[in-house]
Amino acid sequence: MLQFITKRTATLVAAVVVSSFAVFLIPYFTPGDPVRKIIRSRVAGDAVDASAVQGLSESLGLNDPLAVQYFRWLGDFFSGDMGLSFVSRTPVADQVLPALSVTLSLVTMALVLAAAVSLPLGIVAGLRPGSSLDKAITAVTQALIAMPEYWVAPVLVLVFALKLSVLPTAGWNDLSSAVLPALTLALRPISFFTSAVRAGIIDAAAAEHVPAARARGLSQGQAILRHVVPNGLVPLSTLFAVWFAGLLGGSVIVEVIFAVPGMGRLLFDAVVNSDIPLAQGGVVVVVALAVGVTTLADFIHRFLSRTVGASLA
Amino acid sequence: MSPVNTRLVLEDLEVSHKDSDGGTSGKHLLSGISLSVDPGEFVALVGSSGSGKTLTAMSCLQLLPPSLGITGGSIKLGDLDLTRASEQELNSVRGGRLGMLFQQPKRMFNPNRTVEQHLKEPLRLHGGLRGSKARSKALELLGEVGFADPVKGIRAYPHQLSGGMAQRAMTALALAGQPGMLLADEPTSALDKVLERQILQLLDRERRERGLGILYITHNIASVASFADRVLVMNSGSIVEAGPAGALLTRPRTAYTRELLAAARLAPESRRRPPSREREILVLNGVGKHFGSRRKLGHAALQDVSLTLRRGEILGVLGQSGSGKSTLAKAIVGLETASAGTITRQLDPAGSREATAVQLVFQEPHGAFDPRMTLRTSLQAPLRAHHDLSPEQRNERITAAMAEVELDAALLDKRPAQCSGGQLQRATIARALLLEPQVLICDEATSALDALTQRTILNLLLRLQREHNLSLIVISHDMDVVRYMCDRVAVLLEGRVVEVAETRDFFAAPQHQHSQALVEASIPCRADGLWSVLDVAKP
Repeated sequence: MLQFITKRTATLVAAVVVSSFAVFLIPYFTPGDPVRKIIRSRVAGDAVDASAVQGLSESLGLNDPLAVQYFRWLGDFFSGDMGLSFVSRTPVADQVLPALSVTLSLVTMALVLAAAVSLPLGIVAGLRPGSSLDKAITAVTQALIAMPEYWVAPVLVLVFALKLSVLPTAGWNDLSSAVLPALTLALRPISFFTSAVRAGIIDAAAAEHVPAARARGLSQGQAILRHVVPNGLVPLSTLFAVWFAGLLGGSVIVEVIFAVPGMGRLLFDAVVNSDIPLAQGGVVVVVALAVGVTTLADFIHRFLSRTVGASLA
Repeated sequence: MSPVNTRLVLEDLEVSHKDSDGGTSGKHLLSGISLSVDPGEFVALVGSSGSGKTLTAMSCLQLLPPSLGITGGSIKLGDLDLTRASEQELNSVRGGRLGMLFQQPKRMFNPNRTVEQHLKEPLRLHGGLRGSKARSKALELLGEVGFADPVKGIRAYPHQLSGGMAQRAMTALALAGQPGMLLADEPTSALDKVLERQILQLLDRERRERGLGILYITHNIASVASFADRVLVMNSGSIVEAGPAGALLTRPRTAYTRELLAAARLAPESRRRPPSREREILVLNGVGKHFGSRRKLGHAALQDVSLTLRRGEILGVLGQSGSGKSTLAKAIVGLETASAGTITRQLDPAGSREATAVQLVFQEPHGAFDPRMTLRTSLQAPLRAHHDLSPEQRNERITAAMAEVELDAALLDKRPAQCSGGQLQRATIARALLLEPQVLICDEATSALDALTQRTILNLLLRLQREHNLSLIVISHDMDVVRYMCDRVAVLLEGRVVEVAETRDFFAAPQHQHSQALVEASIPCRADGLWSVLDVAKP
């Protein structure tokens, strides 16, 4: 177990380093020389003094080897100094952290909602595969995949905000304003979770130890509750984490449509405004969090399923 | 519990496929099954696989798959007709008055629950025990079935138990509800002879001490001959012969019973002599294998194993579960790297290439094929990987290999689930032959098969060995297989070779203490004088 944790943690660190290095390199692949841009923005006239360029590069540390620059940047980054936004001239960290907390609550709500809907649906469908109830559940949840968020969101707004006037159209103020974005975001996870739960339950119910449990005198219901459902849900922990990680950066459309000040919205604005430090900060935070969550899910899965990676000896 | 309450009586039982509309089709899976087991009686139900033995047991528990149904007859446990009992009555009978002991214990445990969690279910349902009372009863049960350390055993998850320990735990589980009648479905067919005997003795003790009635389902008559009072022989869903054990074994009336008896013991023993003048094709020198971290010094699966195999020789490797047999096979083929010692191949330069000269035939035929591929696709894989052949040439080679193992080429377009275990085991041999090996390693190649099928597969291997002058390593826990097939025998005990001898000498006078125990346990019938009877019964 210790070895497993060490290995997974090492993978986590490696993933963060590699992806953050790619993010770090972004400015080097964008056209134009930032040093000249900075000088031009402060000095009148087109001619740029070569010694000024040299001096500014020196003071910004741009003449150091790339690796040195990278680790300095990474060190600053994780001690909270993510640089200044090009647009607002305020520290990136001050924008990223509030946006992160908004997105985290939005994604958590969406996934809790998705789990609350898909667990019962998937279990019911999986216990009676091929029944008309199963067919109905499968058809509806599969249809959800085909509904893009940019279509679902306006429809929900139209119905609940404009016609029924029970929920606000947009914004991020109280719980009621979170309902429509969370619901929109939950639709596709509902679909995937339901089919995963259904498949897990079908597999678990087919295991030979289930009739063996019946032969000990457990009723059908007891056998399902003790030996089918818990085993059938084990694969879900990984899927849950993958979706959590995916939605952290994948809530762009929903956040833009509903004017939610979250990470997706932040990254969208950063890209539109070519605000490179803001984009860098946002991406690295999302990646680090996503990798962290997936690793945590691996630990949980390992704990839930005793036989994963069990030694042969 | 008065003995009367647990007498099991089946009368004219009939089981058929259900149609989708709830009716039943004409084809009966079981018909006219009548039998009875009294408390304290040991009745053996014998037949090859597919004869309907397990179906009979599951009918008694009313746990048939949904596609099957009981269409006639009655099953009575004491005064209760199980075919008419309510679900509630059945739940109190199952695991309570009527217990069931399964084969394949590893698959019959929930992998995510401990032995304790399993044991507590019947203790609560049938004994009303909870918490610490249930725990101490569970510990007591594990002690009774032979767990040396019940406290450790109770905490174990099924995958942490060896095959033998899992079967003991399964036995404890079956006995936890204090059944008066036990259906034992081949509980020992995956175990070696020593463990089998221990489990049988355990059941026999329950029978003598508290009048447990036992319906013992098996495909191997010899294994139960010394325990059973009566024997019922089953073939294609009907009971074809029944009688007291002694009479039935000495004077079988039907050809089918005679066939079963013949297959029960692989006689005569090998008359072959080791080919001493042939050169050595495989030399193992001081081979060792450790699992686990080096820091803890790990678990030694093999220690200082030195063996030789001559060209055209059949070497048997005997050992109990966990003695390192499979690790040895994998090390020779190259699926595991030995942590110590050397394995030298001195191949025939004119023969197949180095990489494919040693082939392995696996134990579980169903596990050795991809369930989604047709046999043809599976058989093509090794040829694709190792030879530049046109599709026509590949198909020619595959068809030839199928003919070699006496399989119909039409099977090539079937998937594994559509084939029987015997057919699949032939196909695994065909797959190994495709690469023209010089050495073939059979790792328990027949232990998952019933006695009749086993015999035909062993004869096939013997013929292939003769025709291709193959060198064979036969790894088995089954003394009869080794005695039937091999020129020489090596005995593995806890990863060490403790004895190597010519087969005839080995069985006549085993030297090592462990070898003596193995040879002793392989003759369950000797005490009753039935051994010689079985010899007479062979065709």
